[in-house]
Amino acid sequence: MVTAYRTASCGCCKGWLQHMRANGFQVRDVVVADLGAIKRRLGIPAQLSSCHTAQVAGYALEGHIPASDIKQLLRKRPAVVGIALPGMPLGSPGMESAYGKEPFTVMSFTRGGSVQPFSAHRS
Amino acid sequence: MTTRLHRRQFLFLGMGSIATVLAGGAVVRSMQASSRGSRPAGAPRLSSSAGELELDLVAEARAGTIPGGPAEVLTYNGRSPGPLLEVNPGDRVRIHLQNRLNQPTNLHFHGLHIPPTGSADNVFLRVAPGGSTTYDFTIPSNHQAGLFYLHPHQHGVSADQVFGGLAGTLIVRGALDRIPEVAAASEHVLVLKDFASGSGNPGSAMGMGRMLGREGPLLTVNGTLNPELSIASGGLLRLRLLNASNARIYQLALEGHTMQLIATDGGAIAKPEPLEELLLAPGERADVLVQGNQRGGSYSLQALPYQPSGHMGMGAMGRPAGSGSTLATLRYSGAVKPLALPMALIPVPEMPAPERTRRFVMGHAMGGMGSHGMGMGFQINGASFDPNRIDTRVELGSTEDWVIVNNDVMDHPFHLHTNSFQIVNSSEQLPAQRAWKDTILLRAGQEATIRVRFQDFPGRTVYHCHNLDHEDLGLMGVLQIDGKPS
Ligand SMILES: [Cu+2]
Repeated sequence: MVTAYRTASCGCCKGWLQHMRANGFQVRDVVVADLGAIKRRLGIPAQLSSCHTAQVAGYALEGHIPASDIKQLLRKRPAVVGIALPGMPLGSPGMESAYGKEPFTVMSFTRGGSVQPFSAHRS
Repeated sequence: MTTRLHRRQFLFLGMGSIATVLAGGAVVRSMQASSRGSRPAGAPRLSSSAGELELDLVAEARAGTIPGGPAEVLTYNGRSPGPLLEVNPGDRVRIHLQNRLNQPTNLHFHGLHIPPTGSADNVFLRVAPGGSTTYDFTIPSNHQAGLFYLHPHQHGVSADQVFGGLAGTLIVRGALDRIPEVAAASEHVLVLKDFASGSGNPGSAMGMGRMLGREGPLLTVNGTLNPELSIASGGLLRLRLLNASNARIYQLALEGHTMQLIATDGGAIAKPEPLEELLLAPGERADVLVQGNQRGGSYSLQALPYQPSGHMGMGAMGRPAGSGSTLATLRYSGAVKPLALPMALIPVPEMPAPERTRRFVMGHAMGGMGSHGMGMGFQINGASFDPNRIDTRVELGSTEDWVIVNNDVMDHPFHLHTNSFQIVNSSEQLPAQRAWKDTILLRAGQEATIRVRFQDFPGRTVYHCHNLDHEDLGLMGVLQIDGKPS
């Protein structure tokens, strides 16, 4: 079960929820007024922030992460706080666009502040 | 001899050159790279003469020269920023734009009150690679003095070209410049522009792509890292700031000094406004006086870490927090009899009551991926930019209130072409004085009301987000001004 936190007006968070559901995840959609407080509570590094935050099996999830990366996270169970796709890259799940696609890298982060590439997506 | 003959006798020598005109056998300096004030390494200044300014403007990629910067920089006449043009009200301006880029381009005369049509400020023009066109317009005889901004406005690639380096400035001289205290100040035009680093843009891996708007780590002033400005003890500096960045918002402070705001985007305000910090979004200008009233030494012009409003709980999405950066260094040198600040500047009249109110809501959303939709993009009132659709139709001569709502999770600086406006209401702090604006920063969750009178020029133009990646991704609308020119 994925619990996703977003603000009411975000124009792309719902697209990510749909992507997660289409990939077999159960998603609880929680609309909050102060998303910053949730990010701080879950320990999301400010420079990795995006427009929505989620939790799954004790891991923090930030942004438009592909479901395949989340499945890999749950298989490997690395010793990290969570994974994040900072910003809102065009072409990432929920951000599909005829304006183009940008390469992006999902990062992992630890409580100690270490940020490492988790998976790179070229196209 | 007529002025037309004068015009034909101009020589156009390109970057940094001095053109001369032969008038009745005498050599008259007509345009020159002057050295008014002690400017940092800057672009050449081309000033009008006998009511005319004519120049070639070549858009071209050149090898980058910023240490640690990109291998290639997009230039006008070989420089980024390009030339500084200087004109008077009533002057005729002709700019022969040559496109040596590998993509189409055009020019926008940001903030100038000139026709949005024909060969004037027509952003629907398209100059193909290898092509050229001539912009030809007259500065209205009642045009306000101010600093204006030339940049490409080719939808879809405007951010690439501005982020790549294309920018120019245009000063209209006038009443503000003749106020004795202002005239006594030494004037510097400071073009603030960030560039990608030469090692590629690490920011893009950190999500600072087109949706947030591309920013680069190298913060230049007039194309230079940390240039030096000198000020005499007792002296007065006039800093004319332009944010020519694609997406970066600057929170500016001058160490140890209060900045005295004397003009905003569209021209002078009524009296100097003391500022400890100055927020400047892409496309915005500010004209400030600085008194040399501190101990000798050096002081830095700083870009403080900009804090987005966080109304939506976003924090600084994708933006590293970091500390402040030094943009330029102010160094004391010599002493003069202390120069005073002006007491009064130019009154800013109250605008007539609005005849109607409209609402513009900015955001991002899925527009559908079918033949009519673009998928993810930015929208105004639920629609992404379509050059073939008129979004807003107004009457020439009418006054309107536009409520601009940022319903998004990121900041959007809203820019209106052709006519300046005044901010009459805001969910954040209102400006301390009435002021002429053409660009207004709306933070996430903010709304503001601008009052605008559509004067003098009918035709089709646009309003858009001046985070130019957002503009290219659809955050633009078409404005049709109906009526007959007076
Ligand atoms: Cu924007």
